[in-house]
Amino acid sequence: MRLPIADAATLRAHTLALVRRHRRPLAGVLVLHALAALAGLAGPWLLGRLVDAVGRGTTVGFVDRATAWLVAAVLVQTVAIRYAQRASRVLGETVFADLREEFVTTVTRLPLSVVERAGTGDLLGRTTNDIDRAQHSVRFGVPRILVTSATVVLTAVAAVAVDWRVAVALLVGVPTLTATARWYLHRAAAGYLRESAAYATLNGTISESVEGARTTDALGLGHRRRSRIDDDQREAFAAESRTLFLRTVLFPGVDVSFVLPVAASLLWGAWLVSQGLSTAGAVTTVAVYALQIRHPIGELIYWLDEIQIGATSLARILGVGSVEPDRTAGAERPAGDQVVASDLRYAYREGHDVLHGIDLALQPGERLAVVGPSGAGKSTLGRMLAGIHPPTGGRVAIDGVRLVDLPLAELRGHVALVTQEHHVFVGTLADNLRLADTEADDAALRRALAAVDALAWVEALPGGLSTEVGSGGVTLTPGQAQQVALARLVLLDPHTLVLDEATSLLDPRAARHLEQSLSRVLSGRTVVAIAHRLYTAHDADRVAVVDDGRIREIGPHEELVAAGGDYADLWRSWQQE
Amino acid sequence: MPYADPGRPPLTSASAYLWWVARGQAGLVGSCVAWSSLAFVSAAALPYLLGVAVDAGLERGPVRALWSAVLLLLAVGLLGALANVMEHRRLVEGWIRAAFRSSQLLGHHVTRTGDAVTAELPTGEVVATVASDSLRVGEVFWILPRLVGALVSYAVVAVLLLRASVALGLAVLVGLPTVAAMLALIVRPLSRREADQRAAGGRLTTLGADTVAGLRILRGIGGEDVFAGRYRDQSQRVRRAGVRVAQTESVLDALKALLPGLFLAAVVWYGARLAIAGTITPGELVTFFGYAAFLTQPLDVATEALRIVTRAVVGVRRMLRVLSVPPTGADTREQPLDLGERPPATEASSLVDEATGVALPAGRLTAVVSPDPDESAALALRLGLLGSGHDRRVRLGGIPLAELGLAEVRRRIVVAESMPHLFTGSLREELDVRGGSDDAAKLAALHVADAHDVLESVPGGLDGHVAEKGRSLSGGQRQRLALARALLTEAEVLVLVEPTSAVDAHTEARIARRLAAARAGRTTVVVTASPLVLDHVDHVVLLAGGRVLAEGTHRGLLAADDEGGRRYRGVVSRAAAEDDLIDPYDPREEDPRATAHR
Repeated sequence: MRLPIADAATLRAHTLALVRRHRRPLAGVLVLHALAALAGLAGPWLLGRLVDAVGRGTTVGFVDRATAWLVAAVLVQTVAIRYAQRASRVLGETVFADLREEFVTTVTRLPLSVVERAGTGDLLGRTTNDIDRAQHSVRFGVPRILVTSATVVLTAVAAVAVDWRVAVALLVGVPTLTATARWYLHRAAAGYLRESAAYATLNGTISESVEGARTTDALGLGHRRRSRIDDDQREAFAAESRTLFLRTVLFPGVDVSFVLPVAASLLWGAWLVSQGLSTAGAVTTVAVYALQIRHPIGELIYWLDEIQIGATSLARILGVGSVEPDRTAGAERPAGDQVVASDLRYAYREGHDVLHGIDLALQPGERLAVVGPSGAGKSTLGRMLAGIHPPTGGRVAIDGVRLVDLPLAELRGHVALVTQEHHVFVGTLADNLRLADTEADDAALRRALAAVDALAWVEALPGGLSTEVGSGGVTLTPGQAQQVALARLVLLDPHTLVLDEATSLLDPRAARHLEQSLSRVLSGRTVVAIAHRLYTAHDADRVAVVDDGRIREIGPHEELVAAGGDYADLWRSWQQE
Repeated sequence: MPYADPGRPPLTSASAYLWWVARGQAGLVGSCVAWSSLAFVSAAALPYLLGVAVDAGLERGPVRALWSAVLLLLAVGLLGALANVMEHRRLVEGWIRAAFRSSQLLGHHVTRTGDAVTAELPTGEVVATVASDSLRVGEVFWILPRLVGALVSYAVVAVLLLRASVALGLAVLVGLPTVAAMLALIVRPLSRREADQRAAGGRLTTLGADTVAGLRILRGIGGEDVFAGRYRDQSQRVRRAGVRVAQTESVLDALKALLPGLFLAAVVWYGARLAIAGTITPGELVTFFGYAAFLTQPLDVATEALRIVTRAVVGVRRMLRVLSVPPTGADTREQPLDLGERPPATEASSLVDEATGVALPAGRLTAVVSPDPDESAALALRLGLLGSGHDRRVRLGGIPLAELGLAEVRRRIVVAESMPHLFTGSLREELDVRGGSDDAAKLAALHVADAHDVLESVPGGLDGHVAEKGRSLSGGQRQRLALARALLTEAEVLVLVEPTSAVDAHTEARIARRLAAARAGRTTVVVTASPLVLDHVDHVVLLAGGRVLAEGTHRGLLAADDEGGRRYRGVVSRAAAEDDLIDPYDPREEDPRATAHR
């Protein structure tokens, strides 16, 4: 299942809302940029005046006064640029900080079922690549677009104000400019997206080589990894060549569009001057304006396609916000702690039931082992029993209250799911534990660690509980990571636990070390263990054999062995007795 | 692109590295400098021609002199357009060559180091180096030719001004370097603040990625607010760092307007006085103005070059640290290991470890069992010369592995660990690491590993795509896929470490049966303690305390009445051991939660 992407209307509405929320600073930034651009236009204008004055014959005093004006304009421009640039960068930083914080808050509130099903790849891409890309547009692009458009518009206005008759000549450049820009902008976004996709693939390939270095060595994969890197570079090069081609058309197009108006304004201006309709100074001013406007327009075109790329990333960022919640909490709270599933059905795709009406009543305090072949629906059943997914048929309830009607915080205190995935969060070890109970003091954390046999190695860490772990900090072994996860469960203290092959992703050696810790956590709780190790089944109070979305056999180990069904066969082959 | 062989750079210093890259593309660098100079000089020529046009006498209308000045201006403008685009093309090529060569060097190097590279440096840092530092090298080749071009145009303008007016010429010659030096004073703190913000931003991305990677756990047990809050704090730190950058950068921007602006005012003032005195024409005044305005461009390039080179040197130092990690030796630049052909069908060889006395008979399926699983796993690594140390005491067909050489060992012995890495790619490509096996062989290997369900969970069957680290597959599927991959190497000796630890009992039983049949007649070792597997092997070796304690068949050892048999049963019959573990905490005897809050 892929996460949604915001449509154009949502994107527009959101952008407008952003503009409204920041309209005061935005207006301030615009005024300052306009002032800076205006002051920058004084130079060519005074130059024109001087050219006319010298032509007429003038005094040193006039030159001094004109220079004083020029100096004043430079000072105004300096001050305006200082504050305009600062204000627009600060605005960009603020807007983007809001945007990314809102996004991450939304992500941490995504419905359980969506998180479980969508996987992390898509979301990870949005949190890293898309945030980076949108950031580039919002932080740098928006301020630069404000500056350049202010400059372009004001320069054009100034040229008209100096002498509209001469300024008409500037239109000569418009057809080539618009044609080139349209041609380019039409193709640019796709080209640059391909480029960044190619770099993402290349970086992915190389990081895989780093992460899988051991496997590469063991299987002699070096040669293949290298040719994969070379292939990725080939694609990145092809993508670069494509955008280079686009710019090979764009640059001369823009350059020519700015030489033509200079030439035209000189010739046309000279004719106007000879007719007494203009002055040499005015023509000079307009010609210099024509030269000056080239850079802002070039930059504007550059940012227009960057903004297109930023917008696609923004759509993916905002799209996450449109995920509907999968449950609404009711008011009822259970008094007991018996979990009962009745006529439980679930379909990932409509019409394709994975579970076909399961009835199961967990006895408080019992240990139930769920065994069965891969793909039989064991994990789906586990997720239903833990209230992760709302079932598509039937119900799972505690003491008559449906799991999905409980607020999440309440639900977690009743049933918890432990999966094979383990993850150490960036932060201190204490941070990692306090996820389960933000109020817990250090003593409580130590007790929880002691309960899972982890206190000894934690105390041996350089900083004890406040040791930085996770990416960039101390690396915990998978076994230690899973012990931390179990200590969290101790803090969370649910009466029912669903273990979905909780130790199967560990190195078997680590798994064996962990079993002892696990058995302590399980004590006194109702446990549903989805297992692939038969000794777990042997130790359980009851065993449920699940196949094809149904419970085929259920009962104590001895009864099932005596009954002589599937389970008995398997058990015999395992025991060799 | 890419290079057939990225070559061998000096690892002594950042400057030596950059010089080596430059020498490798000397012709290109030269062409970059030439086009760049032409582009800058033609840009500087436009104000000159504008002045000429003004002097041609605008009052007299479009006369001949004006036409020729304007046509010349057009010609120079078109030449400039050509130079601009050629300069850009050459610069991009130079950028790509330098960046790709660096990224290729890094990428190729990490395929030869084994896990030494991650032992020496954190994985994230290595990845960041490859992703961004190699691009920084490219940027150097983007900016330095432009700097040369800018300096050439600066010299040309200075000389032209000097000829027109000694005072103005000197002002440019002295003034511009002074301005550049003043700007450089700000560039350094700015670079520092930018680096601070990048570091804070990197940490923010890490936090974001961390939250997402652990989201399932987070949503399962709580703590979302803590995480959202933590992200917000860091995000605000990035924002504040950004505000500090903005403060310095806006000062730099303002100075880039102020200093050249004052210079421009001075030129206009002095030039206008000369014009009034008749020493220069109005057109020359326009030219002076144009030159002064043009000179901001070399200035911009110079400050940019300072920023880029500073950043690149830091990046190259990080690259050199990665490139200095020594390769393992199995796959070297001198003798690249290419296992792209089937191993010759030789007689099956026996594998003997003299240190422990473990002898693995030729052509048979042997299991190694140990009360300490670390011990048997360590043996497996030694058997394939994986990890550190070249053990002389392991012999393949009587010859010590050290004499065979690491490359030959990799060719003939394949050690597959329990949870190996799965790489991104199509199933067809990723399964067949040695190449040459057909689809039927692949499907057969998937059958042995009981991994047919993987074909259904990746759309497209064998053409289906395995996502990064097998993320789209379950843990059991990943392990079975890795087993199929190991089987497809058709290695002369295959060593499998706990190949079925993540699969359910039904599946494990099937795999064990099929594995024995699939490897019949070839030397195979399985490190395991699972009775479902042990029941299907030809021979079992019990390893304890560094020596062979007992060997025989699974059933024979189970029935044996001696010390070896007793220890063996202790390891294999896990149910007994489990009971010992669980009894003290049996929920049926005590319920600690009864005294807790509920």
